[in-house]
Amino acid sequence: MSISQKTFAFLVCFFTIFVFFQGATVELYANAINLPKTVGHWVQPDSPRIIDANNIFEYMNGAGELYLGYRFNHIEVFEYTFESHENILVELYFMETSDDAFGLLSLDWGGEHVSFGGSNEKSPGPSLASSARALYGGGLLRLWSDNLYVRIMAYRETPDSKKAVYTLGRAIVANRKSSSEPELLKFLHADRDSAWRLRKDRLSFFRSYLVLNSIYYISEENILDLDLSVEAIMAPYEHITGSSDNKHVQFLLIKYQNHGSASKALSHFHAAYLPEHKEKDMADSAAKDPNYFKLEDGWLAYTLLGKYIAIVFECPDQESAKEIIQQNGSNILEKGGYHER
Amino acid sequence: MKDKKHMITRRDFIRGTVAATIGTSVLGFKWPEAEAKAVRSSLVTIIRDKKAMDSSKNVDIAILNQMLEQTLIKFTGEKTTGDAWLSLVKPDDVIGLVPTPHLNPTHDEFVDVVKSSLLSAGIPKDRIRNAQGSPSKAKACTALIALPALKAHWLTGIGTVLKNYIMYSGNPSRYHKSNSAKLGEIWNLPFVKGKTRLVLVDSLYPLCDKGPQPDPRYKWAYNGLIAGIDPVAVETVCLKIITEKRNAIRGEPWPLSPPPICVEAADKVYGLGTSRMEEIKIEHSGWEQDMLL
Repeated sequence: MSISQKTFAFLVCFFTIFVFFQGATVELYANAINLPKTVGHWVQPDSPRIIDANNIFEYMNGAGELYLGYRFNHIEVFEYTFESHENILVELYFMETSDDAFGLLSLDWGGEHVSFGGSNEKSPGPSLASSARALYGGGLLRLWSDNLYVRIMAYRETPDSKKAVYTLGRAIVANRKSSSEPELLKFLHADRDSAWRLRKDRLSFFRSYLVLNSIYYISEENILDLDLSVEAIMAPYEHITGSSDNKHVQFLLIKYQNHGSASKALSHFHAAYLPEHKEKDMADSAAKDPNYFKLEDGWLAYTLLGKYIAIVFECPDQESAKEIIQQNGSNILEKGGYHER
Repeated sequence: MKDKKHMITRRDFIRGTVAATIGTSVLGFKWPEAEAKAVRSSLVTIIRDKKAMDSSKNVDIAILNQMLEQTLIKFTGEKTTGDAWLSLVKPDDVIGLVPTPHLNPTHDEFVDVVKSSLLSAGIPKDRIRNAQGSPSKAKACTALIALPALKAHWLTGIGTVLKNYIMYSGNPSRYHKSNSAKLGEIWNLPFVKGKTRLVLVDSLYPLCDKGPQPDPRYKWAYNGLIAGIDPVAVETVCLKIITEKRNAIRGEPWPLSPPPICVEAADKVYGLGTSRMEEIKIEHSGWEQDMLL
């Protein structure tokens, strides 16, 4: 075989392997989402761009940290085109669980609530957070459907592009099953008779300290030992005073894999956030009675209940801190969480 | 105990001790407060024109060019645009324009207008280049014009001026997590320090929420150009505008999270300029509605 024949044979083999693995990559992520080939005047590309943990930073730079902070699988990206008009971008974020897709939507409950009907709208369980599963504003539609989080954005909003965006959203959720909110939400105290009202429109679910910091800044370091194995909720409460200057406090609930992990994380938090308080306080923190601290921005209280940590920040007085932490703590005790070691 | 190391927390931010904490970790000693309190003054100009964009957000090039001319003349005190440029750069400089390519990118029209203006001032075409990117881009230039777009950022609070040079670090992901407060150190790299002749912020259509991806609900037509030589002063003014816009949108305080501690650190730890509004002289002209200052 001459050199040119060998080169030709090598190129044929290389090309065959390349095509095989390219096909395999798309095949690997084959899914049941049946997007329309055309929507209005916009036309779907031949194949989606596949983004996973290996190339997410190439696709979206530092924004990738957000998705890696949840249980992320991959993204399928379709850019619908229409001659010289602005494109419509469809991003399908395939997450490992419904909780993770819910978490992404929960980072911002703002926008116009959109209903596409069908099974996706019917929650199989009680709903505490906003009932919205799809939110629209300024050309961007965001939606949660089981383990799927979706962003559909018209680069220029027009009546036609809005119609196309809605058509795509409806096609994506069609025939998909509905999922409940994360279990952890059931422990949140939301009784109407309390002086503190849960801000359901500000409630967020997450697993990463970077995401926590983008909701409510705690520290530049991961002082609560958050990672993909934990579940966490930040839930603001506001005092019902009737005045326009309603005081907000921030309630943080975290579920760890076991009591040992929760206890260790609380010690880490105490050492980093409350370094002036003595070790006896840290020992006390392992009990289920809350600990209270007067800080620069108000009262902080925390408690450890089995594999759960509850912390409330920025309370105007110790009584408020006690009320919020005990009401939520009671929910954990009553609903069985404390005994799940 | 391993946690004896003091790390930045919310409490440092509330107490105003962020700079001292970073200073200790970066410089190895407590930041001298007296030095930080030295009297300084920085000029920041804001030129706005209500008609800089139409209702579809198309940029009017002629108006944008006028805004740039006004900015240069107001900022330098020179009589013509050409003289203004030549007071900032030399004809034999290799001038790097540094726009922002991501999240809320700098308008291409703005980069083109700046380039045309430099050409009109007599700067040879082959001495003007796009310098956004790797460290080699900055190394090849003798002067830099920073052209960021006004925006918040989900990892650093604000992502406008200081973050615009992140690629010059050669390792941008290093600043995603606990080092995000240290963005100022990039401006002190040997091949960057002292090269920035002007910071010109494209504030035509800013983004006031952190993203991490653009959400059009948080963009608005400010129709402005913000300029200065002191990058921290310009960032501080940008921060004020973004903060005011966020509060206006929600009708209640809506602080940036994480807080933009990189701005205070750029002042007090890296000595790049002032982050104190009382030390910043703001001169503005044009459209005054919703200045947010």
